[in-house]
Amino acid sequence: MSVALEVVERSGNTMTLSMGPQHPSTHGVLQVKVEVAGEIVERAEMEIGYLHTGIEKSAENLFWTQASTVIERMDYLNPLGNALCYVLAVEQLLGITDRIPERAQSVRVLMSELSRIASHCVWLGTGGIDLGAISTFFYTFDIREDILALIEASGGARMHPNYLRVGGINGDLPDGFLAKLDALIVKFPQRMRELRTLLQNNPILRDRMIDVGAISPADAAGWSLTGPVLRATGVAYDVRRAFPYSGYEKYEFDVPTRTEGDAYARFLVRLEEMDESMRIIAQVRQELERPGPIMIDDPKVAQPPKETIALSMEALIHHFKIVSESFRVPPGDVYQAIESPRGELAYYVVSNGDNRPYRVRTRPPSMYNLQSLLLMAPGNLIADIVVMIGSLDPVFGEVDR
Amino acid sequence: MPSSQNPSIAGLALDPTGVRPDLGDAEIHRVAPAEIHATLTALRAGGCTMLLDIGGVDYLGREPRYDVVYHLLAMPTAAGGIETVGRPRRVRVLVGVPGAEPALPSAVDLWPSANWAEREIFDLFGISFTGHPDLKRIQMPEGWTGHPLRKDYPLRGPAAEATPRPAFALKSNVPAGAPPAGKVAEALQRQIARARGQELPKPAGDEA
Repeated sequence: MSVALEVVERSGNTMTLSMGPQHPSTHGVLQVKVEVAGEIVERAEMEIGYLHTGIEKSAENLFWTQASTVIERMDYLNPLGNALCYVLAVEQLLGITDRIPERAQSVRVLMSELSRIASHCVWLGTGGIDLGAISTFFYTFDIREDILALIEASGGARMHPNYLRVGGINGDLPDGFLAKLDALIVKFPQRMRELRTLLQNNPILRDRMIDVGAISPADAAGWSLTGPVLRATGVAYDVRRAFPYSGYEKYEFDVPTRTEGDAYARFLVRLEEMDESMRIIAQVRQELERPGPIMIDDPKVAQPPKETIALSMEALIHHFKIVSESFRVPPGDVYQAIESPRGELAYYVVSNGDNRPYRVRTRPPSMYNLQSLLLMAPGNLIADIVVMIGSLDPVFGEVDR
Repeated sequence: MPSSQNPSIAGLALDPTGVRPDLGDAEIHRVAPAEIHATLTALRAGGCTMLLDIGGVDYLGREPRYDVVYHLLAMPTAAGGIETVGRPRRVRVLVGVPGAEPALPSAVDLWPSANWAEREIFDLFGISFTGHPDLKRIQMPEGWTGHPLRKDYPLRGPAAEATPRPAFALKSNVPAGAPPAGKVAEALQRQIARARGQELPKPAGDEA
């Protein structure tokens, strides 16, 4: 489609327009068909599925150890969060949740909080572009670049490192990691101050966002909204607090809320969340001083260290078994949720006792958040749709899977 | 190649939800299709205000063949701090759906968010929802045949047989059974020595 915004149909006073699927403001591949009377939206309809790649089907056909590689690719702004949720679910089914080493848990928390900041940086940068504040992008991507460098140093890849494994993490943090992390912790507050000065009281941004896409807590429950979108309505539901996982109960942090429920409230909640994430990271940083094991001591689940393979026949056999046929997971089903940057991300995992997952169902927070555009859009200006989509922060890899 | 997706293999559970250990992740109800709407209505009235997700599972070989799984959460519907939210109650409702003409009543009248979730199950499992306002495919293109998440749907799609996978290339340049020699063997010996805390003498002429 060469034209991003085209007239599909005219009838009486209304006109049907098609936004997308490659409209720059849709943050991915989304088609919104809007029925407008003048500039006012009467009805909006969405077409999704352009990025459907059958990840859930693929996961059913991979080993338990391999499935996390495709699952990471769902929400490409928060790959480590996706992996964390899946890994926690499998650990629950294996019954090894209590045996995960403390250091591995700390690194998992560190990685998911770094991902949250990086993800919010993308949301803020692209959301700024939607509203004409192009320079925001450079400030936020500067922070994101530092974080991706940290993720690359520890996991070996910038975006999909497959660093979190069932039973722990793949390899300890490299030398020099903590120094780079310290530099980020020092630099971050200054960057956030700059962003706030640039945006928070910017009259254009305020005009575009205040009272746009406002939602009440009751509607938020009915439309299954979670994450910053829900907290902007005043409900302080955060999976990290309500159902702590990976040791989140140890850390001190606030759950920022607003009560307006509009795009500006979501913007403020996400900004405060970035600060809170950094607070958690600073606490995790203290724990990382202590060395310790990073993988569960269970040769049936964890690959033996590479250097023992040439020495021990048993280690060689365990390594061969895990690589060639993975491990088996006792039959059962589990619903495991985490707080992703977009809301409650969960996997409903079913095992029938085989070495592959029988079913991995995702609870995609982006999809439910995006769906609420059907409720928000009618009665508003067509230009506000751009702001609403930006404020919902959908990731289409996750919406379509 | 035997498919691990075939649940009839001995030792694999046909209904894993029946043998699950108590993980304490949610309160679980299993109901018949005829009672599902009444159950959901009662749960919603009983405080489960949010429908988190609806998922489907295909237990091919079991009757009823499908499970549709509702995940509910008792979310406050008014603004409040962490104390008011607390640890909300999680409820999971499982419904067995027969393999022939699978259908369930829609939950869109209870939660508007059920709209896309039910469309996705209709699209990927072929289970229809009576009373749904706009039941059509959501992920797959309009006019697609088949339902990809069914266990009898081939992984690579209906055209899998038409385009066979190319055979693996043979590693014919490595003679079978040959022991490691030259630099490979040397590196291996060094690794073993290092792990044992010994140090091998440097080979003569190795300046690097």
